[in-house]
Amino acid sequence: MKRILLVALLGCLIPRPVTAQDEDSLRVGVKGFLDTYHALRTEEPYDWMSSRTRVRGEVTLEKGDAGAFVSANLMYNATLKDLTGFQLREAYGWWSHGHWDLRAGRQIIVWGVADGLRLTDIISPMDYTEFLAQDYDDIRIPVGAMRLRYSRNKWCLEAVAVPVPSFFELPTDTTNPWSVGPIPIEVEPQHKLGNMEYGGRLSFFLSGVDFSFSAFRTWNKMPVLCSGMGIYRPMTMLGADISVPVGQFVIRGEAAEYLDEAQTFMGAGEVPTANSTNVLVGLDWYAGNDWSLSVQYAHKYVAWDGQRNTGLATFRVSKELLNNTLTLQDFAYIDVTNGGTYNRLSADYAINDQLHAQMGYDWFHGDKGSFAIYKHNSEVWVKLKYSF
Amino acid sequence: MKKIVLFAALFSIINCQLSICQAQQLTGRDIVQKVKNRPDGDTRYNELELTLMKKNGTTRQRKITMWAVDEGKDTKKIMFFTYPGDVKGTGFLTYDYDQVGKEDDKWLYLPAMKKTRRISGSSSKTDYFMGTDFTYDDMGSRNVDEDTHKLLREEMKDGHKCWVVESVPVDKREIYSRKVSWIRQDCLTAIYVEYYDKLNKLHRVLTISNVKEVQGFWTVHKMEMKNVQTEHSTIITVKNPKYNIKVDKNLFTVAKLEKGL
Repeated sequence: MKRILLVALLGCLIPRPVTAQDEDSLRVGVKGFLDTYHALRTEEPYDWMSSRTRVRGEVTLEKGDAGAFVSANLMYNATLKDLTGFQLREAYGWWSHGHWDLRAGRQIIVWGVADGLRLTDIISPMDYTEFLAQDYDDIRIPVGAMRLRYSRNKWCLEAVAVPVPSFFELPTDTTNPWSVGPIPIEVEPQHKLGNMEYGGRLSFFLSGVDFSFSAFRTWNKMPVLCSGMGIYRPMTMLGADISVPVGQFVIRGEAAEYLDEAQTFMGAGEVPTANSTNVLVGLDWYAGNDWSLSVQYAHKYVAWDGQRNTGLATFRVSKELLNNTLTLQDFAYIDVTNGGTYNRLSADYAINDQLHAQMGYDWFHGDKGSFAIYKHNSEVWVKLKYSF
Repeated sequence: MKKIVLFAALFSIINCQLSICQAQQLTGRDIVQKVKNRPDGDTRYNELELTLMKKNGTTRQRKITMWAVDEGKDTKKIMFFTYPGDVKGTGFLTYDYDQVGKEDDKWLYLPAMKKTRRISGSSSKTDYFMGTDFTYDDMGSRNVDEDTHKLLREEMKDGHKCWVVESVPVDKREIYSRKVSWIRQDCLTAIYVEYYDKLNKLHRVLTISNVKEVQGFWTVHKMEMKNVQTEHSTIITVKNPKYNIKVDKNLFTVAKLEKGL
């Protein structure tokens, strides 16, 4: 099976234009890229934090109202050898007619308006194999799901069912420089009907404002540490989000109530659960002259154990230069509660239409909180990407 | 009989003088309004090839497929990038409102992020579109009253009788202090436009060639915008233009933006 997929992928890597424009004939679209990424730690022992080269192929087949999409990687990973080989990412089929759109298969589903933070966007989990030092689309893990959408001009209703939930990928292997440590994680929930995820989202796209409401029966997909063991428990999310453009700004807001969310607990006994309130406010500034700035603040309040409050902020500034051939960007996560930071400073230069050269510096800082374990992982990196 | 001829001659002289009078009375605003009102169908389809040229001759390309529909004086547009590979699938949905002061609605879909973002409807107008020498405003439809217009003169340009109109933006934050347009009188299309910067120095020059009728609508097939200060230029070639095509209204929705071409 793997060989067939491999041959199919290689076949797809031969660039071909989209064929026949006739709606009743088969249309084939192919795109992808070849990239190579290498990151070096900037302090003792100055070792390679990452060294990988891969080919991504994406194929779209469409005929009439139906179609299919497949996305896969062929990768050579010199630092994490287990990741060398074939990786199927998305593989789904769809049927679309009039106002209806059905998509079934392995897919990435994104909800909400937050940028790089997850409040209502909790369907597709994250791959933390290299923490956040990967491209955003590599971090999202596709889920095997059915998504049905009913769209009108100004609103859209979406129903999602995930029969077998997927969970965060956490590197517990201590040879991985991004390891979170040898934490035992309990076996994922049984594949049975009662453990499936399901929910929906109602979105409105109006003049001067977008907003949506969402609800999802799910799990804490990032294992919660309880008595020294990472555990998963079911929970329910009720959420809403809004985007309002005002002149050069876009104000974004998102809120999610997690009902019965499992809580970190060091004692013995049953896993404690509590409701938590998650709120995010963001501001994008399209300042003109190819400058853009974005700030976000997300606050989490847990009504348990003396009431816990945590805050996480992000900051992004970017500038396009040389007729958009050079992009300079700085993106930072700021752990407001613990004073930690992850900051990625990067430059992306388009050598030509297909080839981009990128380089950057990732800086980790913090003595407490989620960035503390990576405080010796600051790195410089280079990347070359050829798109077709 | 003599009286009739005399009357007829007199009538035609008066009529002629009235016409001259009317032409003389045509203001810059009237001309720009005529250009804006030029028939272009209720729906449109285009494939655009954008070639960006540096001073040293190296080129880059962008390809876009777009649809547009008029709803009263407002226009809805959806466009998808089809080349190069790194931006292929990126989509823009815009609702351009004619009403002065009403912000356009804009959404951007980024396939790598699998996400649609609501973007500012006003600020990007003065930014350059995807590294080209055209601003978002140049690519869109500008309300006539966003500038004050003055008819400077009439003259021949490239063998065509043209009105020469100067337009000064009302909003002083625009990137140009004034622009001077040569507008063909036969097809109500600008064929040459000079943009002046804030210091009143010539900044960009737009040259439009290959204006042909398609399905009875005057259509620009090629335009070149040159930044005379940096010597960077952009050529837009319009391919396969179609008018009054049957378009599903669902095409101009966020759901379609996310589904792609």
